[in-house]
Amino acid sequence: AEKILLKTPIAFATNLPALGTTITWVADRLDKVSDGNIRMKVYEPGKLVSPPEILDAVSSGKVNSGYATAGYWQGKIPAAALFSAVPFGPEAGEYMAWMYYGNGLSLYQEMYDSAGFNVKVLPCAILSPETSGWFAKPIDKPEDLKGLNMRFFGLGASVMEKLGVGTVQLPGGEIFGALEKGAIDATEFSQPAIDQRLGLSKIVKYNYFPGWHQQATIFELLVNKDAWNGMSEGQQATIETICMASMTNSVAEGEAMQFPVMAKAKEDGVHIRYWNQTMLDTFKSTWDEVAVEKSAEDPFFKKVWDDLSTFRAGYDLWEANAFLPRSRTE
Amino acid sequence: MDINAILVIAMFLSFIALLFTGFPVAWVLGGLGILFAFIGQLADTYFDTITGLDYLTLGLVVNRLYKIMDNWILVALPMFIFMGIMLDKSGVAERLMHSMQELFGRVRGGLAITVTAIGIILAASTGIIGASVVLLAVMSLPAMTKQGYSMPLALGTIASAGTLGILIPPSIMLVIMADQLALSVGDLFMGAVIPGLMLGGLYIVYILIYGLVKPAAAPVPVDAKPVTWPIVLNVLRAVLPTLLLIFVVLGSIFGGIATPTEASGVGALGATLLAMYNRKFSLRVLHDVVRGTTNTTAYIFAIFIGATCFALVLRELGGDELIESFLTGLPFGPYGIIFFILGVIFLLGFFLDWIEITLIILPLLAPVISALGIEIDGYGVVDNPELVWFVMLVAMTLQTSFLTPPVGFALFYLKGVCPPEVRLGDIYRGVMPFIALQLIALLILVFWPQLVLWLPANAYG
Amino acid sequence: MTHKDPPSPDTVPLADRIDRLIQRLTLAIGWSYVLLVLVIILQVTLRKGFSHGLIALEELQWHLYALGVMFGLAYAQTTDAHIRVDLFHSRFKTRSKRLVEILGILCLLLPFITVIFLHSLDFLYDSYRINESSSAPSGLPWRWLIKGVIPASFALLALAVLSRLFRESVLLLRGE
Ligand code: NA
Ligand code: NA
Repeated sequence: AEKILLKTPIAFATNLPALGTTITWVADRLDKVSDGNIRMKVYEPGKLVSPPEILDAVSSGKVNSGYATAGYWQGKIPAAALFSAVPFGPEAGEYMAWMYYGNGLSLYQEMYDSAGFNVKVLPCAILSPETSGWFAKPIDKPEDLKGLNMRFFGLGASVMEKLGVGTVQLPGGEIFGALEKGAIDATEFSQPAIDQRLGLSKIVKYNYFPGWHQQATIFELLVNKDAWNGMSEGQQATIETICMASMTNSVAEGEAMQFPVMAKAKEDGVHIRYWNQTMLDTFKSTWDEVAVEKSAEDPFFKKVWDDLSTFRAGYDLWEANAFLPRSRTE
Repeated sequence: MDINAILVIAMFLSFIALLFTGFPVAWVLGGLGILFAFIGQLADTYFDTITGLDYLTLGLVVNRLYKIMDNWILVALPMFIFMGIMLDKSGVAERLMHSMQELFGRVRGGLAITVTAIGIILAASTGIIGASVVLLAVMSLPAMTKQGYSMPLALGTIASAGTLGILIPPSIMLVIMADQLALSVGDLFMGAVIPGLMLGGLYIVYILIYGLVKPAAAPVPVDAKPVTWPIVLNVLRAVLPTLLLIFVVLGSIFGGIATPTEASGVGALGATLLAMYNRKFSLRVLHDVVRGTTNTTAYIFAIFIGATCFALVLRELGGDELIESFLTGLPFGPYGIIFFILGVIFLLGFFLDWIEITLIILPLLAPVISALGIEIDGYGVVDNPELVWFVMLVAMTLQTSFLTPPVGFALFYLKGVCPPEVRLGDIYRGVMPFIALQLIALLILVFWPQLVLWLPANAYG
Repeated sequence: MTHKDPPSPDTVPLADRIDRLIQRLTLAIGWSYVLLVLVIILQVTLRKGFSHGLIALEELQWHLYALGVMFGLAYAQTTDAHIRVDLFHSRFKTRSKRLVEILGILCLLLPFITVIFLHSLDFLYDSYRINESSSAPSGLPWRWLIKGVIPASFALLALAVLSRLFRESVLLLRGE
């Protein structure tokens, strides 16, 4: 087949660790592995098209590919968030198991097809857990959340709203200003190594874990379907394989870079807190309510949710027996 | 030279040429984008280029246009324009200018100094240049004209003071720069405080000296009285409502009651209440304000929309890579390259606005700057101090882009609200000394990085 | 960047009528700015007074602003407010000015409007097809409604531009 130039607008700047660096790794590997047969040109966020417009641009063929996370399309497809990150959802290993060896990937593609988007989807990075957010004061009981204004992303935002939190979805660059001005009282963004770049610890000192809302986050490479079908089998396999390799690369990078940053944050006076059981139970039961509501509202959401839940129920037997219990040091 | 490079250069040259035909700037930008996309498509078909431009790609302009529509930061723009026009109608603005002038009555250039001072205050309430320039112009130009100020001095003062808002925080530009370079917005905000105030201070010193050297240009009002306690009290009474308004706008931001966008709405309501308080409000007045807001907001956003089309096509043609590869190949030392880059940004500022420069150029420069190996030590808390310092140099340089012809947004905003007999030429003449002052401030920052870095390093203790 | 007074009403009656119609319509839409002030105040009051900000109100803010901005384009076209670099333009003869206007509209402005208008129809249709709503859980539904503002406002802008083209052509032919 002919040489391919993938013009790829992305959702996060390439200088953000993990969120953005993974796609430059993919671009570099594509070029080398294919001997220059497949090139990827990465466009920083907003340079050609802004992140929320990537799906539309790829589907209509205005660009032939794009890199984002499906949670961005919640407003267009309610089920999309389930392929991005699931509250109290699977960790990276289990998520990939469902994706590649369960029904995940075929449901993922079916979702775009049935919603009429002309794209081929490839999971192309997976990020390790996020933090649960940054607060100005300790949060010990559900009442402490009431009346807070907080930046929150994805399905978790619905949970927080039910708990009396007013949520907004600010882009990364606006969070610090809003927090400093008191327009919001608390925020979540991403992993410690990424949050650190926003300087949040200068204003709010309570950093909560675990990130119950995002235990693992999948990033997707979208390719315009006509462009995809025009590729040779070898080209398609190259892209698929490098995206799978990128899953390994990204989770390894993410796991490696958090602890030095957390250690430094502790030195700078940040309180690293672990949610108490009451709070975790509250988040969990509220999420269960949200999942029921969302399933009732949208049949495809229900279809994916049921499939994922069935897979996870089965996986429980393995998970409960196979792994050592985790030790926790403050 | 390959065809893409030729097309990039041709695009810039046709832009400059067509600007001078006097056809609206916005439509020249938009039209050229479309035209060169089709030229790019032809080139792909017949000359084996890979611009990737075609009719389909142009559809991205609609996505980009939509992102201008759902930008909640920009919501503040019409609101501050609303506030400005309403303040004008309320009769409060002139009273404020007049009474503050009485405080500076004995000083040559007192009114111009007042404008600069209010410019600094406005800058601290919003990063929106258009609104500041418009507000300062409608408030002070009639009074300055009446007092017999030299037109260039008056216009230059207004345009430059109104432009301070892009530097003095909160500033939309700094938020976007932080986003582009993954820097802390807080560090940039803090870093800009001293440079911003320093620049405002330079303006005031210049006006004082100018008044001494050329007394006729900045006359003392004939009825200037010595400042006595009754005058101070009078001034306070006259100023109080407006101070209250500024306090409400600024206070609602710094007190954490509202975002800058919301503060702009609060300001618009405040101005309306002031008009009511002064018995100047009526449905007729409100209608006029709506008309003015619609008109002014529209011609500003038309340029946003045209520019987004132009920039898209420029990027697709590889205009950005062209600049990057050129810079990295330069044979100068680190400071030489920094001066060269700032010089280029200064020149680009003649034709492009800060949005395009911030979005196109800045991300290309970050790796170049990091590779220069300039070490700035002793500011432990600040991540990437070199980059914070460099961003502030760029921000200071971009101040000039608002004032340099032919495309200077502050000039356009100003011309938009000036009486028709004021020519663009008067404005050009007026801003020249202020551009020089901005370049002096830039030099000071190049040699004293601590002016940028001291505050962010120490503010958070 | 000149601010001409609108041409006297007896010059080109058809263009005058179209312009007046556009102005009435766009100014009525311009009242969205007044509504915007009220919505902002309501939001601030709810959030700070009652600790209950609404995302829907936040989104309503940019909806209202977008309405005013987009339809304002046509209004500013009828008042000839769009910014020009008048360095040389102000010294042109009337005839040259009319030629610049006619050529500019035909070669630059109309192609720009046409491309945006046609693409925005697809953009609108895609949003309508999937019944797109806000990506925030409690945001506004019916995103296609606000996306429809793009083709609607550009159609109105096109009408204003055609009216201007007609006016300039007639006056050029009349030798005015
Ligand atoms: Na500012
Ligand atoms: Na300029």
